[in-house]
Amino acid sequence: MDLGMVNAKGISRKPHKTNTARLAWALITPTALIVFGLVIFPAVFNIWVSFHNVGLHNLNDVFHAPFVGVQNYQRVFKDFSFEFQGWDNWGAAVTTVVYAFSATTLSTTLGLIAALLLNQPFKGKGVARAIFLFPYVAPMVSIAFVWRWILDPRPSGVLNDLLLRLNIIDTSHAFLSTRGLSLIVVILLDAWRYFPFAMLMILSRLQAVDDTLYEAATVDGANSVQKFFFITLPELRYVIGAIFLLRLMWTFNKFDDIFLYTGGGFGTKVLSILTYEFSFRLYDFGRGAATSVIQLLILVVFLVVYISLVMKSVGKE
Amino acid sequence: MKQTKKNLIGHLADWLTWKRFLFSILMIFFLTGILFPFYWMVSSSFKTKMEIGGRQPVYIPSGLKLDAYRELFDPNHPSYQNFGRNIVNTLKVSLPTSVIAVILAVLGAYAIARLKFKGRNLLLNGILMVYLFPGVLLVIPLFAMLTQIGDKLGFAIQDNLAVLIFTYLSQTLPVALYMLTNYFRTIPDEIEQAALIDGCTRLEVIYRVTLPLSIPALISVGIYTFMIAWNEFLYAFIFLNDRMMFTMPIKINTIFNDPSPRPNVVMAASTIMTIPIIILFLALEKYLAAGLTAGGVKG
Repeated sequence: MDLGMVNAKGISRKPHKTNTARLAWALITPTALIVFGLVIFPAVFNIWVSFHNVGLHNLNDVFHAPFVGVQNYQRVFKDFSFEFQGWDNWGAAVTTVVYAFSATTLSTTLGLIAALLLNQPFKGKGVARAIFLFPYVAPMVSIAFVWRWILDPRPSGVLNDLLLRLNIIDTSHAFLSTRGLSLIVVILLDAWRYFPFAMLMILSRLQAVDDTLYEAATVDGANSVQKFFFITLPELRYVIGAIFLLRLMWTFNKFDDIFLYTGGGFGTKVLSILTYEFSFRLYDFGRGAATSVIQLLILVVFLVVYISLVMKSVGKE
Repeated sequence: MKQTKKNLIGHLADWLTWKRFLFSILMIFFLTGILFPFYWMVSSSFKTKMEIGGRQPVYIPSGLKLDAYRELFDPNHPSYQNFGRNIVNTLKVSLPTSVIAVILAVLGAYAIARLKFKGRNLLLNGILMVYLFPGVLLVIPLFAMLTQIGDKLGFAIQDNLAVLIFTYLSQTLPVALYMLTNYFRTIPDEIEQAALIDGCTRLEVIYRVTLPLSIPALISVGIYTFMIAWNEFLYAFIFLNDRMMFTMPIKINTIFNDPSPRPNVVMAASTIMTIPIIILFLALEKYLAAGLTAGGVKG
């Protein structure tokens, strides 16, 4: 009886396995084709475009576009908007790096504070948590225009009015159209919108911290500040490292936010906006593609450095 | 022993009030900071033209004046925006995007998460790469490719909502695949094995066991992909030129950039775009909050 079953299994195993594989491929094929056609091929094609002269004139015959070597890249590097011009005009490359790093740091810090707040026991915690997620889930377009309206420099702009009344400023500021100030405001708005991501990740990690650690520390006479620095923060190191990595990547490639807040003007032109302008304002798709490849390369360099430095040292712990 | 314990509690009590003070301050800071913009959006949408352009901001509108909404929806208004049309366009794009992405992702994700075959590990790692790949970098090649294809097959790629749905799949499918693969991997294999031994075929197992167990994940993924399409700006901005074809985000941008500024109309349109998302989120917060940490919103 037993033997028979084993035999039966042994016999049925082979066709069963190939059947499974066949089913697997049948299930995957439509998805794989679309992912290939819409993500993988375009990603490679983008590199191809960056080495060719592609404009509106030959867009309908793009595969025969003339090869121009690294000319597109040279033109990007020499472009007034890309190059670092001095402290009052950073150029898109430096602006992107500054923007991505500051916004990431700020939103992660804010997320940490919010997570620590929500980790306290209090009434209405569920409601508070839901509200804290609003900035992150609300549509970007609405958020952008509400902030533009709040920051409006006209007399009906509410933030200027409040700051004037509190005597913090003497004259109305055009927060989103003043060189220097605009980048700071955009970074702050970014922190406002994206802190809930860090908050949620940290919150779920906080709930997994072993309570006995805190109890032991209490017995040893540690105060809450010490507990934070010697228990909470070390426990959170890994998750904060991961959040920083993800947020850095995502912020680095942001387009909507800055485009809607400032249109890329007043010292807020980042690389994705430059890509857009080259491609869809000047219709020089080759140069646009070159910009986006440069953007990807800068990001990859930062990620490699970050992962080899930060994540490795975290991983060793 | 008792003495020290009391002391400790006494200390705790002192320090708790200080802590509570800090807690309240921070809580108020966060709540006002978060809620004020939303209040300002909704309240501004009910202000009249006089209130919106006055010498100082009106903090509380004099009443629920529907001027702004009338401009959006009332055909008799002098600068009627036909916003209803834009809402319909947005739905026409987001619903199919979400449904197609979920169906395709369920099939692919199940195979990759569950079935053993050659190349599985490669695909498993590939999904993460595709998920992480920044979508902004695909605009140019997609635009060039689609122009080429449209030219060959004889359809317009501008102002074509079907083309827009197609491009949205490049953003939604990776998210859906990534989330569902991760989810399917958490369902214990034993349940499915039991069903297989009971004589179900694989497809029956998927339909009768896996999918019912995955309903929370399916809802979450469905809503996130819907939201991606609902909110999407860049692709719609590039692919749509005709006002009648605009989705809400592009329309709001157009109203905002109108030479005569009417913030109340912009705020009314923004309110209409935001409210469904917030309601959806509050109603399904349990599933959606988990989906956020699982990578539902990429950005």
